[in-house]
Amino acid sequence: MNYTFNFTPVWQNWPLLLEGLALGLGLAVLSIAIGSIAGLVLAFCATGKHPALRALAFGYVSIVRNLPILVIVLFIFFGLPQLGLAFDKSTSFVLALSLYAAAYMTEVFRAGLLGVPPGISEAGQAIGLTPLSIKYYVVLPVMLRNAMPAFANNFVSLFKDTSLAAAIAVPELTFYAQKINSESFRVLEVWSVTAALYIATCYLISLLLRGLESRLRL
Amino acid sequence: MNASHRVLALASTCLALSSLSCQAYADKLDEVLERGEIVIGTGTANPPWHFTQNGETVGFDADIGHLLAKGLFNDPSKVRFVNQSSDARIPNLLTGNVDLSCQAMTVTAARAQQVEFTIPYYREGVGLLMRAGGDYGDFDALAQAGSEVTVAVLQNVYAEEMVHKALPEAKVDQYQSQDMIYQALNSRRADAVATDLSTLRWYLQQNPNRYVDAGYAWMPQSYSCAVAPGDQRWLNFLNTTLFEAKHGVEFDAYAQAFEKWFGETPPAPRPGFPSP
Amino acid sequence: MDLELSYFLSEIVANRGMLLQGAWTTVSVSALAIASGTLLGMLIGLALAYASAPLRWPARLYVDLIRGTPVLVLVLATYYMSTPLGLPLTPFQAGAVALCLFCASHVAEIWRGALQALPIGQLEAGRAIGLTFPRICLYVLFPQAMRLAMPTWVTAAAEMVKASTLLSVIGVAELLLTSQQIISNNFLNLQFYFLAGAIYFAINFCIDMLGKYLSRHLEGAGKPRSPV
Repeated sequence: MNYTFNFTPVWQNWPLLLEGLALGLGLAVLSIAIGSIAGLVLAFCATGKHPALRALAFGYVSIVRNLPILVIVLFIFFGLPQLGLAFDKSTSFVLALSLYAAAYMTEVFRAGLLGVPPGISEAGQAIGLTPLSIKYYVVLPVMLRNAMPAFANNFVSLFKDTSLAAAIAVPELTFYAQKINSESFRVLEVWSVTAALYIATCYLISLLLRGLESRLRL
Repeated sequence: MNASHRVLALASTCLALSSLSCQAYADKLDEVLERGEIVIGTGTANPPWHFTQNGETVGFDADIGHLLAKGLFNDPSKVRFVNQSSDARIPNLLTGNVDLSCQAMTVTAARAQQVEFTIPYYREGVGLLMRAGGDYGDFDALAQAGSEVTVAVLQNVYAEEMVHKALPEAKVDQYQSQDMIYQALNSRRADAVATDLSTLRWYLQQNPNRYVDAGYAWMPQSYSCAVAPGDQRWLNFLNTTLFEAKHGVEFDAYAQAFEKWFGETPPAPRPGFPSP
Repeated sequence: MDLELSYFLSEIVANRGMLLQGAWTTVSVSALAIASGTLLGMLIGLALAYASAPLRWPARLYVDLIRGTPVLVLVLATYYMSTPLGLPLTPFQAGAVALCLFCASHVAEIWRGALQALPIGQLEAGRAIGLTFPRICLYVLFPQAMRLAMPTWVTAAAEMVKASTLLSVIGVAELLLTSQQIISNNFLNLQFYFLAGAIYFAINFCIDMLGKYLSRHLEGAGKPRSPV
């Protein structure tokens, strides 16, 4: 193998790579925030008593979790304009990732809710709290604590999914990596640095969320 | 001839032989001739340049390959096409996987530091493709619309710069495959596609009545074959063959391929003064 | 809003050969990746659970590095890096390798978790009756760990089918790329992406059902002993 490493094209484009990484993180945080709210609502539906709401939550989760995220992204970006629904590329991607995240977060929160001992809601009732305040003050904190490890895992994997935004021309990290490759041909260098950036970011995210988790612990 | 002379002669013959065999090893032309076929790296999904039809690689790049095979073996079929992604064009040369890359490769000074280019076999430019009956009728309408216009383009480092040379205010969306830029145009994600004139003509021809050419072309650039650096004899051979295809004895074959893929007849070479 | 349903149906019929071919490529590349990735992952998982440090650390490094990389980057890097590394792979091969590496990293974690969930007494009991470590694995640990790992493994298998869509980016004509090629001829974006989604859903739904069936079947073979 007569290949000499040359990282110059990578360092020359370093600001672009960081810019792409920042955009990917932004897209992930926004989508996960939206997805978590939707997931929380769906998780309460899934564990609630209303059969129609339960069916809705289970139906949503089982359909969306069995769809490839790339198909959802392309459907929203290239398919929906046919119905007159044209969002710009970043909005389309956030919409797609939020829908996807909602399904995963529903499962995360549902498992968290199932882990809440029924006794504490009853205790809440006993001290005269309304059903809504029981959910907010009693069930939610315990559930969040239960759900944290799974939430962190899903956060990382949803962040990694932002690499797919490159497919619809959103200039995130993978997009810039491909772009630099197209001119410099320094394939080994560009991909190893790109992977390293993703790995480091995922590691930092897990570290942060683990820190948060230990704070939430009683 | 005395003994010492004989020893000297023997030694020099040995030296000559060893340098010859060494040269034979480094000489791509001999290697290719001995092998009996030329190995050309090209792609499979970029009509009219190189694409697969009934399992065979066809297109203008493929025809250039056949021209070179004819020059080498007097048999245009003695060529083996190796499918490579466009990112692999340079690495495959440097590792010796292919004898040359012939894959719609734009000549740039940066690339010329890594590989050596033959003389150009095509002059490419950029044009704009729009939906027929779309919001904009021609290039002037696009230019006047300013930042209202979105142009889809194949991803590369100079993509934005390239579009802005023609439409300074247009929004530029970069996609990763040719399929995707047309999809952007069809789904009204983009008002125009900026792409190579050759590809644009091919696409117009394949989808009659669906698209229009905006009627403006810019950014001329050269397409050349590339070889691994440091083998002047191989490069000379290729240059000679290409030059005579464009301007000499093999012009008919070159012109036939040109017409087939671009729908245009190249200017015929004239006898007399040897201007290219 | 006009969905051109009859045109859509006629286009499905006209392109049925391509669609079937694409779906077959999706299924075969996924199956290949799942099978090879599972074997590799079980070895790595075993190292994570039981091996001494010199073997455990490389295994841990592998899992953490691969799991920190997006599959798309894995696919692109495997494809584009294979040539300069002196081992040029076709898009299909590169895609299968990338998915296998990805699958192995997931299976390794699942397998480690399952093995470590088994009571340590199982291993000791095996040793006490004089079984060698490979035999303990084969007869004592693996059957129980498989039962524990089955549900998560099925989820991972479905993830592989979903991840196989990323091979479209390097030009493997699996179901998604096939759909895009069809779309570039008939311009039915919405309809054919919807169809692709429906087919992926159907494939994964089958995997899901199979997993449920297997879980029930394994449970029937004897309840896992839960530590009290």
